Amino acid sequence: MNVTTKPNAGDAAATPKRQLSDISVMVAGQGGDGSLTIASLLSAQFASRGLHLYSTSNIASRIKGGHAAAFLRASVVPTGCMGDHIDLLVAFDDEAVEMAAPNMAPDGIVVFDASKGAPPEGILADTIQVFAVPFGRLAVRDLGRDLLKNCLGFGIVSRILGIVDDAAESSLRQRFKRLPAAVVETNVEAFRIGLSHADEIGLGEGTSPWTVDEAEREEHLMIAGNEALSFGFLAAGGRFYAGYPITPASEILGWLQRHLPKYGGMAIQAEDELSAINMATGAALTGTRSMAASSGPGFVLMQEGVSQLGSAEIPLVVVDCQRAGPSTGMPTKVEQSDIGTMINGGHGDYPKVVLSPANQGDSFVIGAFATNLAQRIQGPVIIAMDRAMSQDSTTVKPFDLEGITVDNAKRLTREEVLKLEEYKRYKITDDGVSPWAVPGTPGGQNLVTGNERNEWGLVSAEPKNRNKMIDKRARKIETVRDDLPKGCRWGDAKAPIGLLGFGSAGPIIERAAIRLAEAGTDVQVLRPRTIWPVLDETIDFIRQCERVYVIEYNEAGQLAHTVSGAGAPKEKMVSLRKYDGTPFRAVDIANTVLEKEAAE
Amino acid sequence: MTKTYTPAEPIWCAGCGDFGVQGALERSLIDLNIAKHDVMILAGIGCSGTLQNNVGTYGYHALHGRVLPAATGVAFANPDLTVIAVGGDGDGFAIGAGHFVHSVKRNPNLVYIVMNNSVYGLTKGQDSPTMDSSAAEGLDSTRLALSIPGASFIARGFSRWSAQLHELTVAALEHTRAGRGFAFLEVLSPCVTYNDTYASWESMLDNLDEDPDYDPTDLSMAFSRGVALDAEGRMPAGVIYRNDGAVGKEAPPSMAGQDLNPAQHLDAYRGIMNSYAV
Ligand SMILES: Cc1ncc(C[n+]2csc(CCOP(=O)(O)OP(=O)(O)O)c2C)c(N)n1
Ligand code: SF4
Ligand SMILES: [Mg+2]
Repeated sequence: MNVTTKPNAGDAAATPKRQLSDISVMVAGQGGDGSLTIASLLSAQFASRGLHLYSTSNIASRIKGGHAAAFLRASVVPTGCMGDHIDLLVAFDDEAVEMAAPNMAPDGIVVFDASKGAPPEGILADTIQVFAVPFGRLAVRDLGRDLLKNCLGFGIVSRILGIVDDAAESSLRQRFKRLPAAVVETNVEAFRIGLSHADEIGLGEGTSPWTVDEAEREEHLMIAGNEALSFGFLAAGGRFYAGYPITPASEILGWLQRHLPKYGGMAIQAEDELSAINMATGAALTGTRSMAASSGPGFVLMQEGVSQLGSAEIPLVVVDCQRAGPSTGMPTKVEQSDIGTMINGGHGDYPKVVLSPANQGDSFVIGAFATNLAQRIQGPVIIAMDRAMSQDSTTVKPFDLEGITVDNAKRLTREEVLKLEEYKRYKITDDGVSPWAVPGTPGGQNLVTGNERNEWGLVSAEPKNRNKMIDKRARKIETVRDDLPKGCRWGDAKAPIGLLGFGSAGPIIERAAIRLAEAGTDVQVLRPRTIWPVLDETIDFIRQCERVYVIEYNEAGQLAHTVSGAGAPKEKMVSLRKYDGTPFRAVDIANTVLEKEAAE
Repeated sequence: MTKTYTPAEPIWCAGCGDFGVQGALERSLIDLNIAKHDVMILAGIGCSGTLQNNVGTYGYHALHGRVLPAATGVAFANPDLTVIAVGGDGDGFAIGAGHFVHSVKRNPNLVYIVMNNSVYGLTKGQDSPTMDSSAAEGLDSTRLALSIPGASFIARGFSRWSAQLHELTVAALEHTRAGRGFAFLEVLSPCVTYNDTYASWESMLDNLDEDPDYDPTDLSMAFSRGVALDAEGRMPAGVIYRNDGAVGKEAPPSMAGQDLNPAQHLDAYRGIMNSYAV
């Protein structure tokens, strides 16, 4: 480690600047330190340079305090995930350095708040440059407020990254523009104090060790998966939502409570998840497009309700924002261990579709698609999210709002019902879907029930009727199978090595594939967006490759079992599983594949 | 007119109290001149949870204990409907007790009729939370409801007292249809097969509707009368409490009837999208 605490301007000027086209930053400290401020200032700065962004955070599941870290990646090409290493760490305490050390790039930089002493010894590689400045102490001494250390630190960080002072100051003013003028000026002053300390430690304007490339990205959206999914639901006519607070699904409730009322809709915080899914089911019975969401613990409470949707033929979107289980598990950590529950969680045989967005932006597309699909199959459509997909934000192309349609499928109008000689809610049809008259329609009176029943909705346990009804419901999936979302492909379809994974693991897998390709390994990638039913594209992908690495966040290999159970050849599959709560890194996936391939 | 399902014949045992509840409900719908297609009856699971099949309205058979959330969803999504939730005492006060508490508090515009037989009829005679013959400490749902802020209409009928039951059903429907919220009507509806309480309950009942000194708009009187009667081994019948100034939980105009054509909202959707632009 190479600590700089006193002026040595000559050095910085002498070493050639490093030019970065892809930078990962971590800002960390105690919860109250405001780590997110520097990260969001940098985010705005990088956005104005036309870079693609990905941001995530790591907040201990505690109310206040606890260690908090914000991560930001900015790159010339879109990546959709964090980088393999942390290039720049802004650490407000020792714990931040300890946390980051294993992932620090060997040529990285650490900016350390030395208010309480020098950075911890012996944990950072010698090749890492450390700038130790007592931000906190300076902020208290010169301005009387500890929290101003963020703007002070931002001054130093912007000098390291070669951001022009004026540009940095204007993004700071932009960020605080809603605050009273005097508060803005105090923050700017803190920033300037940071600059003058930067001067003292050899980080004068124009002498920065690094510069970050500019890019020419078109206007994008910086959005998290839960927000995009909620938006997609709204755009496709979603009007009723019920949920119960839980990490990492709560943002959906918050977003829809904010937006649905403007469109004559309603989002309700129910007393529990049993109520949430049954309220949403009640609303859905009226023909209102509805949704319920939760995470593992609440999603399993909803399962009797999901089974009811399948049996009684009620359209509903049900979202599972997976988190690390089992039970209460690790609520703020990433995992994909509810695959089995999503596919087989409810009791009995009933048709269902499980979809998974390929990235945060695709959550809009999948949210809208699922809302229409539920109407088409008159049954449950489940969306598999995961912690990172739900809560991380990334830059995505603007949504195709004009392309959104509202498909009323077999819903009958008043006029259509009046013209019918007879109306049967559960009429047996070729496609398995029965025409639907909603309450309030004269002549459409019907009985909806989870009991087995005849076409009229009257309870029946007669064996022939039972077979007809089960088969009718099963046919609905075949009816829509060809329209279900296809996965994202990468690479040459003839490549012998395949990588398979979904959700937030997908973009990381694609980065790993790029690394492998660069290392001369011929790979291709499939990131399915339909998890159930398993589509032919998935089975064929595995059949056509020599070997496929199935990469997922769980211990049991739930995705691997699902696809092999659906007919994919087991002997071709190698399972890569991670369940420590942290995300995959492209470099690790690539190295594991290389090792295993070398051993073959 | 389109032919729809033929209402089922009740499957109850001869003498079951639930017949009286269905009769009162059917008469009330006729009295109030409510078209069958504008009514949705949702039912829990139990012997009581078959009533929705017998009336000819829109019907929904909910999960055991979940009739209130389902009915609340219907009431919110389409306030033009008359929403009636029915079920048993096990359905409402055991497996569904949490929803009962929150429904009283939330005060959605719907009628909730519980057919209380103090036993699990459908599953053949197990104990229920309201059972008082063996436990002597059966849960009194009307006093539970009184204790919940937001309570707007609480009544108890007896399925053998059909004239009063009819009046109470009409009053409950009127309360909800006037937008005052959740009308809770508990009907003592004996199970002749597993817990025949016709005689014992009749002897315990004190009809508040016939007491000129009783004021059902006075919450403290409602409480004290209930407690006093209980101490004498008796229980109240009639309108126990009503707040005619109550306002049911607000919901937007029928979501079910909305024109969802996305073109009309494109500008607003673009506004949302622009708020994420970088
Ligand atoms: C989740 C669930 N648990 C248990 C049952 C079995 N079950 C059906 S009805 C019932 C109780 C019925 O008692 P009550 O609600 O008082 O209705 P009654 O038959 O007396 O009218 C039970 C336990 C069920 N259907 N679902
Ligand atoms: S078992 Fe009891 S509650 Fe059920 S129908 Fe017969 S009498 Fe009525
Ligand atoms: Mg009962």
